[in-house]
This record gives sequence, C-alpha cells and structure tokens, in this order.
Amino acid sequence: MVKTFKDFPGVQWVEGAGEFIKINDEKCIGCGNCVKVCLAGCFEIMEKKAKIKSLEKCLECAVCWYVCQEEAIIFSWPPGGTGYKSDWG
Amino acid sequence: MDEDFDIIVVGAGFGGSVAAKLCADAELKTLMLERSENVGDKVISGLTIPFQGFLFAPAFIRDGNPPFERPADGIVNYIIKDIDKGDIEIDDSLKVPKPLSPIIAFGYNTYCKPFCQWQARKAVEAGVELRTSTTVTNFIKEGEFIKGIITDKGEKIRAKIVINAEGSQGILAIKAGVREKYPPETISLADTYDYVMRKEDIDKIFGYSVKMCWGWDEQKISPPLGYGNGLMVWPYRSSIHFMQDQCLRTDQKSVPNLGKLFDEYHHNITSKLLWWKDLVAPRAKLRARMWEGFEIYVGLNKKLRKMPNHTDGMILIGDAAGLESTELCDGVPAAWYSAEIAAQVAIEAIKANDVSKAFLKKYDDKIKAHSIIQWSIKGRNRYNLRIAQQEHDIKKLKKYIHQGWGLGSLTHFTTPFMKLLLAYVKEDPTIITKWIKMYFRYYQNWLHESYDYVKKKVIKVTASKRVRKKERKFLSTLRFIDLIMKSMLRIRRVLKIIIIPLSNSLNTLMRKSLPIIEPINSAIIKLLNPISNKLSNKMIKFVDKANPSIFYVY
Repeated sequence: MVKTFKDFPGVQWVEGAGEFIKINDEKCIGCGNCVKVCLAGCFEIMEKKAKIKSLEKCLECAVCWYVCQEEAIIFSWPPGGTGYKSDWG
Repeated sequence: MDEDFDIIVVGAGFGGSVAAKLCADAELKTLMLERSENVGDKVISGLTIPFQGFLFAPAFIRDGNPPFERPADGIVNYIIKDIDKGDIEIDDSLKVPKPLSPIIAFGYNTYCKPFCQWQARKAVEAGVELRTSTTVTNFIKEGEFIKGIITDKGEKIRAKIVINAEGSQGILAIKAGVREKYPPETISLADTYDYVMRKEDIDKIFGYSVKMCWGWDEQKISPPLGYGNGLMVWPYRSSIHFMQDQCLRTDQKSVPNLGKLFDEYHHNITSKLLWWKDLVAPRAKLRARMWEGFEIYVGLNKKLRKMPNHTDGMILIGDAAGLESTELCDGVPAAWYSAEIAAQVAIEAIKANDVSKAFLKKYDDKIKAHSIIQWSIKGRNRYNLRIAQQEHDIKKLKKYIHQGWGLGSLTHFTTPFMKLLLAYVKEDPTIITKWIKMYFRYYQNWLHESYDYVKKKVIKVTASKRVRKKERKFLSTLRFIDLIMKSMLRIRRVLKIIIIPLSNSLNTLMRKSLPIIEPINSAIIKLLNPISNKLSNKMIKFVDKANPSIFYVY
C-alpha cells in the first residue's frame, strides 16, 4: 500500500517502514530540538519527553538524530522498499 | 544461503553505481545493494552538476549520453538589501560568455532519479548484480576485518571488499566504528520544491542561468547567510527546482525552528520578490515538496576531515566519506572521483590479495592528492558569508558572494582545476577533443531529448551540403587540436619546467589581475554581444542538424 499527503505533494510513502526511529526515554531531556527541526511533524513533547507522533510523513533525513545532543534518538533505515519515494528529487 | 562476491557496493546513488560498474568492468564479481524499491527513489537535491564533474568523470559518463534537464551557463546572484523597497543588487559575473554558451556549459541541471538510474543501468550492463529493496543493517566482521554485509532480511553476504556508498548519514560506518556522527552545525537541511512550468516560459525567464538569492536574516527571505546555501532556483527542461537550506545549529546553544522558518522564507520570497511574484508565480504549479540533510561543512572541521575513509576490507566513498562540498554545495563530482579511485584501489587490492587497511590507504592518499576534491571540501568562501551577516557588512557580503558564486571563484579554483587538467592531458593528449565532443553531444542530446534508454525524439541526419561541410570542418579542427596536443607532449620538459609551476601560481595571478581583467572582460562581452549572439545561434543550428556520430568518442 502506498500513501500520499496533500501537504507534501509529489512524495509517496510505501507502508511497512515500522518504527525505524525510536526514542530512549531515559536519555531524553525534552529539549524539543527534534520537534523544531522535523519538517514532517513526526515528534511532540508530552510530559517533558519527546514522543513519536507518527513516522508516516518521514523523509528519513535523520536531522532529528543529528540535533539530539543526549543521543536519545535511535535512527536506522527502514526495511528495504518501504518508506518514502519520489520522482522529483 | 551464504554467497560470495569480490565486491559489495552499499548504495546505488551517484557514487555507488560508478564504483560498481568500474569493478565489474575489471571482471570482479560485484553486487550492488539499494534500500529503495527503485534506484533514485530516495535521492533528493537541487542540482547543477558542475562542468569539472563531467570533465574529470569516469569515461563512461564523460563519453556517454546521460540524461539531464538543462545546461547551465552561469549564476545570477540577487543580493537583497531591502525586499520591500526592491533594493536589490545583481552579481551575474559568473557566466560562460556567448558564443561559447550555451553549448560550452558551466554545468548540467538534473533530477537525481533518472541520472542515478542511468548509471545503475550502465553498471548492470557491465555485469553488476543489483538488488533493490534491500537495506544493509550491519557488517560481517571477523576481528578488525569487514568481511561482508547483513541485510534486513537476515541474509549474510560475504565479499572481499565492501565499498560503502550509503550517503551522508553514515549509519553503517558509525556502526562499524570507522566514523563518528557529525555535529549539527555541519549539517544543512535542504527544503526543496519542484514546480512545473512551460519550457518556453523558463527559456524566457531563466534561460540557462541558476538564480540565487541572498539577504539579511531579519528579512526572512532566505536562510541565514553562511549557515546554508541561501536560496537557489534551478531551471530544468519544463520545471524549476527551488531550494532553501539552513544549518541545523547556527550557534552552540540552540537549533532553529526550521518548520516555521522555512514556511516563512518560502512565503516571503514567493510573495515579495518581484521576478518570482510577477513572472514565475502565475506560470508555475507546485508538483512536489521534499527535503534532505547534507553534511556541507564537514570538510571545514580538521578533526572531522581526518576521520578514516577506509578500514580493513572497506572503502567509503562520496558523502559517506565526508566528501560533500563546502565550496560547491554539490557532492556529485567528489562522489564520482572517489568512486573511480575506490574501484581502482579495490581492483589492485584484490589482485594483490591484500585488502588490509594498510593496502587500502592508497585510496586515502589519492583522495588527499586530488586537487579538486581538496579544494571543494576545504573552501571557506561560502562559509565566510556568515561573517558578513554577523557584521551586517554589505561590502563583505558582496565580496564573498563574488568570491563564492561570482567570477571571483577564479581566484581560488584556477590552480586546482589546472593541476587536474594538466594531469589528464599528460595521461591522454586527446582528452581535449573528447571534452569538446562531450559538450556538443550533450547539447545535441538536450535539444532532441535523446539520451541512452530514453529517446523522445530521434535525431534526424540531414543531407544538406552546408551541414556536411561544417561537419568536415568541425572534425578537421578536432584532428588539428589532437595533433597539436600530441606534439606538445613530446616536449614534456616544457610542461614540467614552465606549465606545471605556472599552474601553481594561477590563483595568485588571478587574485592580482582580476580587478583589472574583469571590467575589461565585461566591456568586451557587451561590445561583442550582437556578433556573439549571431555566432551562438549559428552554433546551435549546426548542433541541431549535425550527424550525431561526429560527436561520439570511439
């Protein structure tokens, strides 16, 4: 199954990516850096901790992982053939 | 079941396919793994691949028919002092003059996907086994040696050498303990918009020029200077790419709210900048929006620059080796160069039956000796724009734009360029005519939308006597150039004693002479404009009608 979103034309998301980004609650200090840099709105702060709202619009750019100074974000690539794709990059 | 290969290439981007093809050409059993369903699905950039990328690219690219969207003949820089009052200065000094332009191009604008697919098909034709929809999750390690890879499906595939072309994030290289995660101030997030537009409109509004916008941060019209690329608009065949990008951290304390800022920048530039508002907006339709992170300032940090690019059984290339360019904001040339060097070293290593770190150091030595790679990762001209911003100094701003994106680039690019050029000429004196043929063939391909695997229009061979005569003249000129170049090589001592030392001082020479040369050059170009235009049109007509075979390299 492939999903599209009106806010992000020209990109498709192939289902099955799963939780390829995870947050280590113990390390997270709730600084909100991941929320600020993520253009897909994948993160939110709840009870002073970052939570993954949804990875369904994630473009796998890894900027959340770069800006996490506490190393609380665990980033890996989604399984082969899943996640975003575009013809216009 | 376990399998064995000589080479496994991880990633089928701009670097990966080149390394894989060259290894397969040497009859090495080569496997290339790509995590996306189709090659190029996940490659995002706004992209002019500059001319030096093609000139010094592996022969199959230089002498081939890769697909691209439009030749680029230069850059128009908009220095926006006050957008509301329309106080804007223009620096368009970096432009290939007519009649050379548009056939002799400054670079080629391209979508990543068709280009990467073209390269991957060449690799497969050479004998590479390509497996898509395959994510590499880890390496097979024996002691210090990388002995193969493990996929997301749990397959273990062994190889004598792994060429890691995984891209800028370097997740696997970090896992292998070869490299470290980059700090956020070295990473730029590129927010990219693709607009559809009629070719005729693009021809009129952009021609062959890339447009760049630079402004003070408080105007919120382009990302903070020096902390990213500012804002760039690339004309393609019948679409344009708009890219704004900004570093993830601009000081040691905080990261910017990029979601909010990018929306503001994009809204302000598209609603306030006159040429966009009046000319582009009524004619353009948004087709796609996407983004990607680039490690554009890694090369400026000595510690990061010194991170290993190889280990026992593995070589890293392109962005995975930290070779994204600070000076160019374009990692493709370095990806090609490093892929070719990696393939050469891997072939030698397998022949010598020694894939140790000590043997593969040859790769690192060659990367360090490559004048254009080193220039492109260490250059500080664009980075210096942040100083102009911090000091709110318009003189400095104009100076650094001129240095980075104007004719001033000759003051730091000429020496590394000439060094590489001379090395290529020394190796193959007929390279000059191969380059000339490349420019003409590429332009003819563009006119007719005729590339390998995609031929929208078939190039018809004309029987006109006039064209035939011009073809003969073109070929005899090339033969004459080859003759001159071959005879020059017989006097190698001249090269050694005069030309090579002279090339080392070319940057200094350009620094001293450019203030005098530039105004004269610009006056001459203006004066000769009517004649140059006529000549340029004649050349275009010739390329349009000429028999394509005269531009082939055999």
